[in-house]
Amino acid sequence: MTTGAIFDIQRFCTHDGPGIRTTVFLKGCPLNCAWCHNPESKRRQRDMFYTPHLCIACGRCAARCLHHAHLMADECHVYDRHKCALCFECAEVCYSGALAVAGSDITAEQALAEVEKDRVFYEESGGGMTLSGGEPTAQIEFTRAILEGARSASIHTCIETCGFGPADRFAELVPLVELFLWDIKDTDETRHLANTGVPLPPILENLRLVDEAGGTTILRCLLIPVVNLTEYHLDGLAQIYRSLSNCQGIELLAYHPFGDSKRARLGLAASDLACDAPTEEQISRAREYLTDICGIDGVHSSA
Amino acid sequence: MAKDNGINRRDFLRTGAAALGGGLLYLSAGGQAEAGSEKLMQTLTSPTTFPSPKRLSDITHALAQRGLSGEFGRATVSAGVKLEDLMDVTGVSEEMRCAHAIEFIAERAPLRILPGERIVGSATYNEAVHHAIPIYNKGSVSHTTLGFDKALRVGYKGLRKEIEDRQTRGGLDDKGADVLNAMKLCLDAAGLWHGRHLKQLSELIAQSSGDEKAGYERVYANLRSVPENTPTTFAEAVQSLWFMYAFQRLCGNWSGIGRIDEMLGPYLKHDLASGKTTLDEAREDLAHFWVKGTEWIGGIEGRGSGDAQHYQNIVLAGVDAHGNEITNEVTYLVLDVVEELHISDYPIAVRLNSHTPDKLLKRIAEVQRHGGGIVAVYNEDVVIKSLCKFGYPLDEARRFANDGCWEAIVPGKTNFIYSPQDTLLMLQKALPLSGDTKGNPDYPDFDGLYAAFAKELQTAVDAHNAGADGYSVGGGPAPLVSLMIEGCIEKARGYYDRGPKYTVLAPHMGGIANTANSLLAIKKLVYDEKLLTLSEFLDILGSDWEGQENLRRMVLSRIEFYGNDSDEADAMVKRVFDDYTSMAAKVRERNGVLRPAGISTFGREIEWRAHRTATADGHRKGEILATNFSPSPGTDKIGPTAALKSYCKMDFSNLPNIGTVELKVLPASVKGEQGVRALVGLMKSFVKLGGCFMHIDVVDTAMLLDAQRHPEKYPNLSVRIAGWSARFATMDKNWQDMVIGRTQQAV
Repeated sequence: MTTGAIFDIQRFCTHDGPGIRTTVFLKGCPLNCAWCHNPESKRRQRDMFYTPHLCIACGRCAARCLHHAHLMADECHVYDRHKCALCFECAEVCYSGALAVAGSDITAEQALAEVEKDRVFYEESGGGMTLSGGEPTAQIEFTRAILEGARSASIHTCIETCGFGPADRFAELVPLVELFLWDIKDTDETRHLANTGVPLPPILENLRLVDEAGGTTILRCLLIPVVNLTEYHLDGLAQIYRSLSNCQGIELLAYHPFGDSKRARLGLAASDLACDAPTEEQISRAREYLTDICGIDGVHSSA
Repeated sequence: MAKDNGINRRDFLRTGAAALGGGLLYLSAGGQAEAGSEKLMQTLTSPTTFPSPKRLSDITHALAQRGLSGEFGRATVSAGVKLEDLMDVTGVSEEMRCAHAIEFIAERAPLRILPGERIVGSATYNEAVHHAIPIYNKGSVSHTTLGFDKALRVGYKGLRKEIEDRQTRGGLDDKGADVLNAMKLCLDAAGLWHGRHLKQLSELIAQSSGDEKAGYERVYANLRSVPENTPTTFAEAVQSLWFMYAFQRLCGNWSGIGRIDEMLGPYLKHDLASGKTTLDEAREDLAHFWVKGTEWIGGIEGRGSGDAQHYQNIVLAGVDAHGNEITNEVTYLVLDVVEELHISDYPIAVRLNSHTPDKLLKRIAEVQRHGGGIVAVYNEDVVIKSLCKFGYPLDEARRFANDGCWEAIVPGKTNFIYSPQDTLLMLQKALPLSGDTKGNPDYPDFDGLYAAFAKELQTAVDAHNAGADGYSVGGGPAPLVSLMIEGCIEKARGYYDRGPKYTVLAPHMGGIANTANSLLAIKKLVYDEKLLTLSEFLDILGSDWEGQENLRRMVLSRIEFYGNDSDEADAMVKRVFDDYTSMAAKVRERNGVLRPAGISTFGREIEWRAHRTATADGHRKGEILATNFSPSPGTDKIGPTAALKSYCKMDFSNLPNIGTVELKVLPASVKGEQGVRALVGLMKSFVKLGGCFMHIDVVDTAMLLDAQRHPEKYPNLSVRIAGWSARFATMDKNWQDMVIGRTQQAV
């Protein structure tokens, strides 16, 4: 039985591939993006979310904790992450939701059972299952097991990937994945390395390999004002798109700084990416640029 | 970190307000906005979240704005006189008194004919807005849909002939003769009102010039021979239907309209084929029917606009009495008009089935995205099956429309009313736990406790049946209504005197979601896990969870309740559902009264708070609990698909009077073509899974603001923007404000 670490399974996802989908979010990612929207997805291990304003100061965490990480003083609760051993005993008795575990280990069968629940909605909307994360290929055994299970149950499969990892992993997924939602974080190699912690070329190499093996892709591109909202980057995206035989289009996504709200709850420092979201106008100009100037069909900014 | 490496050739940057742009917002779990009557009252306030195409003329838009602003409703006047002031009523029967009052209304009510209007006829008396018959000053009729289809077909002339034929046939008792005379007097009154309109139109034509004059002439021409006669064109048919409807309204009756596309579709088809009209012209005509529907907005002081619905429901699509799909151009024009004008005063229910054309589903989805919950859907495959199982002949079942809410009735043939009961009250009695008294329960196992609840349920069903036996016998006069209800002329008996072909008093249970959830919580805590005794639990509930916040939170956070596609929780709901429906099915008809089971709360989850104690499923006294047959607010943690699946586990072929599920989605989750596809998928799944009535609400920022103020009501409202997702309640205010700002901009 293959086990993996996930941080969520969401039903009724409408923008993670075609139709109504169930998205399984896997935990653990080889990239370390400055703008990460889901910081709890980075580590394979479980994380502790602490949301002080939900706390009702019941004191049960303090009573349960063997490591003195929770302190009750004047009916106020203080959580000391330095003392926390991440045993998550406290979260088990926290009914207010102030302490919550991010992440759980489940088997592929359990994940599939959850995915199976919305089968009728996939059938009626042309939807299916999407693996996202985190990076699904970072847990290749688990990912493969879920994909195989979904395929043998005739459930449409998508995977959202950062594209970084051993080439053979991507090659073996091609027959199992009906649509790759392929993230291109940046097309400038220097910035890519600086902002994500990994080099760009292997990602493009994997993309080429998947494309040549007949894998269908959509490029998913986050536009970040202070980083990549430039014609140069859009030209780069267009170039990648044109180099592929089985790419269905480019989806533009707008960066937003909401990841910081989760970083705070994880006890992490805010991102040093001092940046607002792009405006609607910027996004539509980028879309028009790709469509009109680069002559690319299938550019979407709805997702 | 490299910022831009100096390689920007041209700058796309312009810092400004964070826009949603390519971002997404999903509502993956439902807290519910304050429901029920308050919800009903905020119909027109929902902001538009998706741009509408503009197809209608500026004149039509301007008139719509005037109606929506409450101008016409505020201008309604009191009749200011009583019947006794106008005539000597000595020796006049009640039936005839009422008919005379209607005659006086027709003679005296102010007319309103505006430049630019394509149809005329206005209910200008304020008593009518308050559900009373002006001048007669007694209650009027609602909760039914009159036989506009037949009246349109045969005209007032045909109805008059039917009455005369009946009189000629004879064999009438005094009461019967009286009832028929009163109906005839009502027809005369309707003719009088019609004549006044033609006269005033003639005057307006004489006084005006240019476009305005041409407009009046057009109206005059369309009104001249209807509703007395059968319409010959689509424009006449629209005018005729409205004129009959408006006269009913003027006299205080709040009827549903019924299947407007079935009624008007053939006229449009004919006119389009013969080149008499175009789709654009027809849309314009139909739009004025919608504009007219707003004329009572503002008619009730201090209640805003939502009071304007007045049960004027419209049903679209589905099969006709012979089983043929009736979807036609009128179906689509109605959706066009609603999409463009955002007039929610005619709540629309579309009858879906397993063969509904994709084109129609797509149009419904596009309109639903505008929010406001204007368009809901039936699964007629199940509704018709349930009506047949209940005992209606197939052709009658296929004719179903509703009573003004969503209860299925045969339109034009039915006296309908329902009687609401709260199952939570029954559980409180069984436990026992009611108000200030705490009981001394002795249920050694859960089944014993459940049996005590089931006994209370049976008692309630029995009480309903006892009350229903004498329903609607020798009731007050309603001759104008009787005229349009099949059976009344033939039997020569009034609407409230068993005249209608069908007299229905439906039992409606409300509170089932929280009742079943409470049963589940008691079963788990007291009998399965033995965390506390029933007695202890009841003490806690009796003192409104005082000092037991932890336990309460545990119940709320650790038990999966109805609405999460959890077989255990849904089985408990199903147990209550099955018991209720089989109890009700034992007496489907008695003493001439039909009793189809329904499940509803409508707005009563608000008034019922007064008698509800704290509940075992974690709610304090005074909280607003589940509406209709929807999950309890905040407990459907997984989203619309799971909520729908839970609901659809019931066998709705056993619930002939319907039970509704309300699903809420955020605008961004239904954005773009993908969003339309998702909504279509939800509707098709709803049909396939065997639901019976579904209301999809695309929520607006008002709900997010409410969630910010009352996070406890929305513990699981989760928002998703692109790859990011979080529960709304876990975010601090600044972040919440940003989400709210983005939702506003998502439009």
